[in-house]
Amino acid sequence: MTWTAPTVTLTLTGAAGATALVAADRAAEWQRPGAFALFWLGMLVFTLPAAYWAVRRQPGPAPRTAVLVAYGCFTYLPKLLRNPAGPLYHDEYAHWRQSHEILLDGRLFEANPIVRVVGDFPGLHATVAALAALTGVSVWHAALAVLIAAHVLVVLGVAALAEQLWRDGRTAAVAALAYGLNSSFLFFDTQFGYESLAIPLMIWTLVALHRAIRGPQRTGWIAGTLLLAAATVVTHHLTALGLVAIMLIFAAALTGRRGCRPAAWTAWLLTLAVAGLVAGWLCWVAPKTAGYLDPYLGKALNQIAGILNDSGSGGRTLFKQSVAPWYEQKAAFAAPVLALAATAAAAWRLRRHRDPDPVDRGGAVAALLIGLCYFPAALLILTPSGAEGARRTWAFSYLGLALLVAPTAVALLDRKARAAGPALAALFTVLLVGNTAAGMNPSYRFPGPATYGSDTRSITPEVRAAADWLRATQGRDLRIVADRYSGLVFGSYGDQFPVTGSVTFPTYDLYLTQPGRPVPPPLLHQLSEWDFGYLIVDRRMAEQAPEIGIYFETNEPIPHDGRPAFTLGQLTKFDHTPWTIKIYDSGDIAIYRFDFSTLGGPQ
Amino acid sequence: MTTIRLLAAALAASALLAVGPPRVPPPVAVLALLAAVLAVGELWLRAPALSLEPPAGRIGLGLVCGLISLPLIALALYLARVPIRAHSLAAGLAALTLLLGGAVLLRERAGGREADPRLPWTFGAIALPVLVALVVGGTAVWAYARLPHPPQPGYTSVALDGWAAGIAGPVAIPRGGLDVPIRVSSAGEPAIVAPLSVIVDTLRIAPPHPVPIAADTAGSIHVHVPTPPNGCLHRIEISLGAASTVFYGRGPAPC
Repeated sequence: MTWTAPTVTLTLTGAAGATALVAADRAAEWQRPGAFALFWLGMLVFTLPAAYWAVRRQPGPAPRTAVLVAYGCFTYLPKLLRNPAGPLYHDEYAHWRQSHEILLDGRLFEANPIVRVVGDFPGLHATVAALAALTGVSVWHAALAVLIAAHVLVVLGVAALAEQLWRDGRTAAVAALAYGLNSSFLFFDTQFGYESLAIPLMIWTLVALHRAIRGPQRTGWIAGTLLLAAATVVTHHLTALGLVAIMLIFAAALTGRRGCRPAAWTAWLLTLAVAGLVAGWLCWVAPKTAGYLDPYLGKALNQIAGILNDSGSGGRTLFKQSVAPWYEQKAAFAAPVLALAATAAAAWRLRRHRDPDPVDRGGAVAALLIGLCYFPAALLILTPSGAEGARRTWAFSYLGLALLVAPTAVALLDRKARAAGPALAALFTVLLVGNTAAGMNPSYRFPGPATYGSDTRSITPEVRAAADWLRATQGRDLRIVADRYSGLVFGSYGDQFPVTGSVTFPTYDLYLTQPGRPVPPPLLHQLSEWDFGYLIVDRRMAEQAPEIGIYFETNEPIPHDGRPAFTLGQLTKFDHTPWTIKIYDSGDIAIYRFDFSTLGGPQ
Repeated sequence: MTTIRLLAAALAASALLAVGPPRVPPPVAVLALLAAVLAVGELWLRAPALSLEPPAGRIGLGLVCGLISLPLIALALYLARVPIRAHSLAAGLAALTLLLGGAVLLRERAGGREADPRLPWTFGAIALPVLVALVVGGTAVWAYARLPHPPQPGYTSVALDGWAAGIAGPVAIPRGGLDVPIRVSSAGEPAIVAPLSVIVDTLRIAPPHPVPIAADTAGSIHVHVPTPPNGCLHRIEISLGAASTVFYGRGPAPC
């Protein structure tokens, strides 16, 4: 009885949900209406019964664990269906390449042309490459195995952490489900990206930290905390920094509390040790990271200042030109408000119901402080540069919210089950829909027609074929100039080393130069000096404006007014410059070989 | 499971992994790696005698420790300047197993440990939904992959082929001209007949020659490029339909 009902229910609803998710993706790719509705039908038809079984009193720990594992597996399905066969999201190309390079060359820390700091954090790539090398499966399938395991470990990790804190299996299950409502859970932290492995590592580090500060076997848990923290550090920079921040909050929340002296000492010791690990790694192994992260934060702060100072300049309009349905947009705006109400209720309860254990009390206060970080971070979503960072912080702050709110939800279910059940189900639904909508664009969530200027939809068989041809005939690791979207394919499947331009190396000036006008000589000199051999031209740049408003990189000096910023003449001028030999042409894609020796001029 | 059995299981799995693909089929290798990762993860927990409640937490932590063993071994190989390959990884896994197993055995000789009777149940509680998810999710992905999808945009490509793919500067074209190999590919487009032209500077050498291009094929054709009038730099374009290649050449006569 304990096992049969949830097993049958969740198997049937899982099958129904999976069918609806497949139908949603098919509706989207054939551009039929109903994709969003089918998607949410599929999600809710499984997750709501799973939540019901997870928070019931009757099933013991083992069935509850089974439900949480099923929840973890099912919630990976939307991303799995989105791209079951290979990389699709921007960063996935970078990580696929990095793992592939380890398999080819047997070395770590190789430079990555797509995301320049990726190579300095080899935790995920080394795991995927090791799995692929040892089993003979493809890099993509090895990645899927690691990512699905990591996703389930997130759910189990939050449950384990909550169980340490609250010592109740139901509360732990609610915390795990609540964490699954964060905006990154379904699509972002499931991608082939370093954070997808680093987040579970961080959560399990916190489990070990909690045991280390509580004891017994404190020494063993200290060693365990350091091992897991080190694994987090070598896997992802932001998660490592987030881990230090969370540990700092834990240590601060324990400091000065009666009966917490040894726990606070241990917490501070471990926080300093992990901070040292992070600082050491960032200084000696990954010194490029600060320069990589700094512009995002700096620009976001400037834009916030702009919003506050001159009535909105520098801001962005949420869901501008979005195809997301009205209920997703409303839910996205409602989600932070509901989260605030839930946090307030949980804080009030925390104040009234004092945990007799001072360490657990300190842990609960830490969860409150971590959860509160969610709300100021929500302000960053209003800035173009801060939006990405804001969304990423929610994977951390939602951990605090989940840990904090879980006991309140269980208390409500215990006292007013008839009213609280539907109310919590409604809250669960609004937060799941709203946060997911706020976290990821529809083009990342659903398939659709080929569109230039979309990370997920501009990669056509034509671009793949051009990249394959270049690798097959000219070799790999060639330095090439490309736009953002061609660069993804040539830099991953093509095994090349693309550059898409920057302020100090403005390769986009090649494309911007008007026909008949000279390309800036310093740029040509730089390209020649640095041994760049090839130029990729995507002629769709003259036909369509990029969907995400980027041709090459975020700081490009190119107008984005909804019209193509290039003329066909700007892109075909290379057919007539003696220093470019057109070696490949497939209509949209042309590949030129540089011949800088003729730059002296035709004779 | 006793530590000796765990050690034996991990070492046997490492040995199987050392044989490696293609002699060990991927499904067997995946199971062997899973066994090795779980066993090494459990040894990580036993070495410092870590216990975590509930048992699901212990299994989760064990899996995490097993997983991070792989990048740890890869990092150690990198520092030792050993290439990361199946053999070296399997050897590293075996070495880590022995190291951890030795530490656990030493510790257990001093104290011993009691097995948690709930652990097998919890393993079952994790394995059951994983198996159901594999069947349900696998079927969904299989069905989605096999259902018809909208056709992707097609293309016809033209590229310099053979020796011509290596053209890196002006080509010296002898008297009598030069045969240039061209690779023509078509994908996702119907069969067409495209006009082939050779243009030297701005002059079309001859009337366009019709070339049939079958659907979804790739092949090579040779295009005759006549001798340019002199040794100055001349632009040579070979176009097939809307696609073309362009290179530069010089004739034998003085410029």
